[in-house]
Amino acid sequence: MLPNRSRLSVLVFLLPPLLLYGVAVLFPIMQSLFLSFFSWNGISDMEFVGLANYVRMLTADDIFWRSFFNALGYLAICLVLQLGGALLVASLLTSMSRGRELIKTLYLLPAVISTVAIAFLFVRIYSVEPVGLLNQLLHWIGLGALERPWLSDINTVLTAVSAPEGWRFTGLYMLIIYAALLSVPKELEEAARLDGASRWQLFTKIRFPHIMPVWITTTIMATTYGLRGFDIPYLMTNGGPGQSSELLTTYMYKTAFISTDFGYASTIAVFIVVECLVAVGLILFMLKRKADA
Amino acid sequence: MKKLFRTAAVATAAALALAGCGGGGTTDPSNVSPTGEVKAREISWLLSRPADGAVINIMKKLADDYAKDHPGFSLNLITTPDRPSYIQKLETLAAANKLPELFDTDATPFAQQLAKQGKMVDAEKLLKSLDVYDDYRPSALDYQRFDDGSLHMIPFQFELEFIWYNKALLQKAGVSAPKSLDDIPAMCTALREAGITPIAIDGQDQWPLERYVAYQPFREAGPDFIQKLKKGEAKFSDPAGQKTVQWLASLGKAKCFQDGFSSQGYSDAQNQFTSGQAAMYNIGTWELPSLATDKLNPAVRDDIDFFTLPTTEGSVTAGNEFVSPSGIGMAVNAKTYDPLVSDFLKFALTKYPSEYAATGALSPTTNVETIVPANATPLYKKALEKANDLGDEQAMPWDTQLDPTTNGRLQQELVLLVQGNITPEQFTSTMDNAVAQNAPKFFK
Repeated sequence: MLPNRSRLSVLVFLLPPLLLYGVAVLFPIMQSLFLSFFSWNGISDMEFVGLANYVRMLTADDIFWRSFFNALGYLAICLVLQLGGALLVASLLTSMSRGRELIKTLYLLPAVISTVAIAFLFVRIYSVEPVGLLNQLLHWIGLGALERPWLSDINTVLTAVSAPEGWRFTGLYMLIIYAALLSVPKELEEAARLDGASRWQLFTKIRFPHIMPVWITTTIMATTYGLRGFDIPYLMTNGGPGQSSELLTTYMYKTAFISTDFGYASTIAVFIVVECLVAVGLILFMLKRKADA
Repeated sequence: MKKLFRTAAVATAAALALAGCGGGGTTDPSNVSPTGEVKAREISWLLSRPADGAVINIMKKLADDYAKDHPGFSLNLITTPDRPSYIQKLETLAAANKLPELFDTDATPFAQQLAKQGKMVDAEKLLKSLDVYDDYRPSALDYQRFDDGSLHMIPFQFELEFIWYNKALLQKAGVSAPKSLDDIPAMCTALREAGITPIAIDGQDQWPLERYVAYQPFREAGPDFIQKLKKGEAKFSDPAGQKTVQWLASLGKAKCFQDGFSSQGYSDAQNQFTSGQAAMYNIGTWELPSLATDKLNPAVRDDIDFFTLPTTEGSVTAGNEFVSPSGIGMAVNAKTYDPLVSDFLKFALTKYPSEYAATGALSPTTNVETIVPANATPLYKKALEKANDLGDEQAMPWDTQLDPTTNGRLQQELVLLVQGNITPEQFTSTMDNAVAQNAPKFFK
């Protein structure tokens, strides 16, 4: 328990960031909620439409649902690449004795490259005319039949735009998980080894349970980042071809700034906020249930 | 989440600003001759043109010349060449009632709403008051007009759009330039069989493919078709609409466009044509310096030629009527229009045409003659001469005509149709529904 004077100091220092958070995050959310009950194109009078935007979004907008399911697919691919890749690389790093720093740096490098550069880089990698790196590689290894315009094919485009995002942040999560793995008590691992535990058992029974709090944090981070994914898909395909790589975020942006339907765009924004909160809630719920089991 | 919220925040900020400003300027948009003293200050032009292009360079020079006699004057050019980003900026500023003295816009339904709210000076009256109206090519002005015939934008360019082709590649495939639009699918098949990409297109920017949707209806039913379609008074299921839907599907079936075109950009398409990989390329005279001068790859230089939009059997428009845009127009903000803006425009608009023609471009006015550059090929002059023989009607690009939501949907569905991902029937149904849902909000 802090003495009264210290508690006051804590409150005083917490207040400015709390105010900033309120102005920068909570206020816009409330304003979006407010705007979502209106029809407004930015230059004419705002017209109150009640829940009409929500009804339209949930019952009469095929692009919205397409974008929603695309966003889930995008999220799944990002999570597998980011968390799965990060866990694998971090685990391998702990058993390396040399060159660890170099590997870490190389994996982290994409996280510091600008999004625009990554988008253009991958557009070139996927290109078919002129032949990009991916199609060239497939040709070299005798899988020429798989060559295709990855960003123009409606069956491959969603995976193609998700991969750069996953690739980009694998290194970041790898660092976090690697730091957590280093904190696993060596004596505990040693004791398990003496008891005859295999590497897999060591990982599932000792290491992973120990890093669970960090894992939950990274999962929440990766999920919310994945749900807000916008820039790379927007720059690479603008949601196309058709709506094959349209995400809720790109659809919301287009609705606001291309269709000038600010009220409806706010409705989609509110949905994204709710979706993120539900996703975080579900993660916590599932992990808690697993921990209790 | 910040990015997401930023969008909402901008919209909200715009809402509050609008509420605060209470609906805009009080200036009469038809009062084109403001009285009072010319007080020098900085004025701004929000524009979407190439940063090192002729229009910007000339206007910078003219602004500097004007400032010599009007100390304190300067022209602040706020450039956003990327059109989607520009439109976003324009719409946000319009919502916040913060548009600068001058701003670029096409004759879109959104711009028409701004004009209806009295936010843009009547350009016809303005040009007449400056005594330059009669110098303009009627078609350059018509391109800028809204449906009701009113004029609120001033053109700074005049362009003709052709289909450029490589004679040697056509010869290799045993085909000649098409006599009819309907010949093109068969031509594409022959070119593909000869291992040649028929048409290079910038699919990323979407408007180049949208040009193709306009061609058949323009020949079949004339310029009125799009005027009716955008308001829901005509449909894609009508004969003219079906003609274009089936034709586009046949272009896709014949693999007319390069593989993976939807993710390829402007320079990709241009490179494919100028490197001799693609046989045809649909682009305007703004590309003359790349296509008809010694800058063009010597390997293809003598093989390049162009044809204008082919007609069709029973066409209601003539061969000399095709897409001839006068570029994005410049609107004058009615709220900030004062003696200074008026005086500067008078100075600039009277001097602009000769400066512009000297760069080798077609002026939107007829009082100057374009100076063909010294490094031009004979094709340069041939292309310019087409401007002297234009018919009365012009094919309007559909992206400036449709409401923004329908336009976005059309651009998306077109790619799917041409790639063969959807059937003509699905395309027709989706687009007719899109028009029915979205047009009434914009054209009521």
